Amino acid sequence: MIEIEHLSKHYGDNIVVDDVSFAVGDGEIAVVVGTSGAGKSTLLRMINRLVVPNTGRVLIDGQDTATLPEDELRHRIGYVIQGYGLFPHRTVAENISTVPRLLGWDRRRIAARVEELLDLFQLDPGEFAQKFPHQLSGGQQQRVGVARALAAKPALLLMDEPFGSLDPVIRGKAQDDLLAIQRRLGTTIVLVTHDMNEAFHLGDRIAVMDQARLLQYAKPADLLTHPAEAFVEQLVGTAERPFRLLSLVTVKDAMEPGSAEGEPITVSATLRDALAQLIWRGRPALPVTDASGAPVGRISVDGILKHGRASLS
Amino acid sequence: MSTRAVTFRAAALLLLVVFVTRPQLFAFAFVPLTANNAPAIYNQGSLLALTLSHVRIVFLATLASTILAVALAIFVTRPAGREFLPLSRSLVNIGQTFPPIAVLAIAVPLVGFGEKPTFIALFLYGLLPIFENTLAGLTEVSPRTLEAARGMGMNAWQRLWQVELPLALPVILAGIRLSVIISLGTATIGSTVAAKGLGEVIIAGLQSNNVAFILQGGLVVALLAVLIHDGLGLAERAAARRLGRPLDEIA
Repeated sequence: MIEIEHLSKHYGDNIVVDDVSFAVGDGEIAVVVGTSGAGKSTLLRMINRLVVPNTGRVLIDGQDTATLPEDELRHRIGYVIQGYGLFPHRTVAENISTVPRLLGWDRRRIAARVEELLDLFQLDPGEFAQKFPHQLSGGQQQRVGVARALAAKPALLLMDEPFGSLDPVIRGKAQDDLLAIQRRLGTTIVLVTHDMNEAFHLGDRIAVMDQARLLQYAKPADLLTHPAEAFVEQLVGTAERPFRLLSLVTVKDAMEPGSAEGEPITVSATLRDALAQLIWRGRPALPVTDASGAPVGRISVDGILKHGRASLS
Repeated sequence: MSTRAVTFRAAALLLLVVFVTRPQLFAFAFVPLTANNAPAIYNQGSLLALTLSHVRIVFLATLASTILAVALAIFVTRPAGREFLPLSRSLVNIGQTFPPIAVLAIAVPLVGFGEKPTFIALFLYGLLPIFENTLAGLTEVSPRTLEAARGMGMNAWQRLWQVELPLALPVILAGIRLSVIISLGTATIGSTVAAKGLGEVIIAGLQSNNVAFILQGGLVVALLAVLIHDGLGLAERAAARRLGRPLDEIA
């Protein structure tokens, strides 16, 4: 549990973060969105004290972070930045073992951890452990950056535009991989982005910032149906709203009993994807199958549309 | 490295070693340069001993320059030392602009004849390339890399030793190489103040109007310079290759 209480930061007369408070539950992903210059990164960097706040405090599991030595605090918090900041003179294995080495883990434990992480991120240890960062593709560098941040098993991971330098195709895959790994490890994540799609895709809760202030901190669906200010409404995009709502619900929740003809859709797909399929195939309904491929019901256009309406959600 | 490059280097090294240990073997080549039955090969001391003391003083002076210049560059790139950057730059620049021969003239009355004034002149002359290159190397480290290092909880000392210096190493080595090469040539003037070195051979040649001596002294210094330049260049490239940088990026 991270509690951010009345954090403020100013440089001279320039207020960068103005009295921001919110809390992130264990195992949750909180996404901070906003235009550039809104103070998102400064807010994030105050959590691991790369920026020292002027007022306010951050509690991690009830402990005030200002009471801990800075380096010790940072050893316990994973940190991923845009461009990843991998050490160019160190191999992938050495990069990943940075924090464990600072913590003085023994060699065997470090080697085992590196191998475990490379496997987790689908990088063959035999092939990648001894490579240097410049020998990796952008997507591989991104995975090594996240693996390095997770090396000492931090309970909290801070990510500043972690997918910002990936092309759109790889970005989607990287986001899905991060979600899968996060679900598996139960890591709490605070992620900063300016990409609304990314925020809705990843966030359990979304914090919207503008001009140093936190405008709203809510679940994605609430942000769409009950925007606190005109700016939030504008940022989520009025034309996009129904589709974003659909993307937050899976087929499972809108499924009807019965059967239908055509290419089946899996229960774990989002309603947005299902609707896209229905439109594309030109059908009023399609069959739904579970993960093993067994038919479990049907999904219809009418059933989906109900979930995209403000009044019903 | 191609076989040809290896052969060429080995040949140059062999030539140097044989020449300084058995100079008489090469007498035939120098005889045509002498007049009036003057000796063709330097006969007032051992070429080997002179070469060794020449290399020794260059090594010691460069070592001292490296220690001071690198320490100074590290200091002025820390938050506490930033305001000393212009001052350090001026001091190091003075060391370079002051001609070594003038340094000798000033140093001799203070420390006497021999190796000491030569050491001082070479030390001052060698500071600039190492200081400027270390400075460039340290300031070129990507801010992202440093941000990541801080964010992972490396303290200032760990960032310096584990990140900044290793990344700056190829550029620092290039500075040291430049300084060594300058010193190898400049050290010959040390013989004017009685420092043991290859300058003795050249000066003996000038005094007795013996072109053979001048050529021998120059040849040994040149061979040394080429071989050391090449060796340090290899070390630099090895360090740069680890960083994945193309070779031509090294200054």
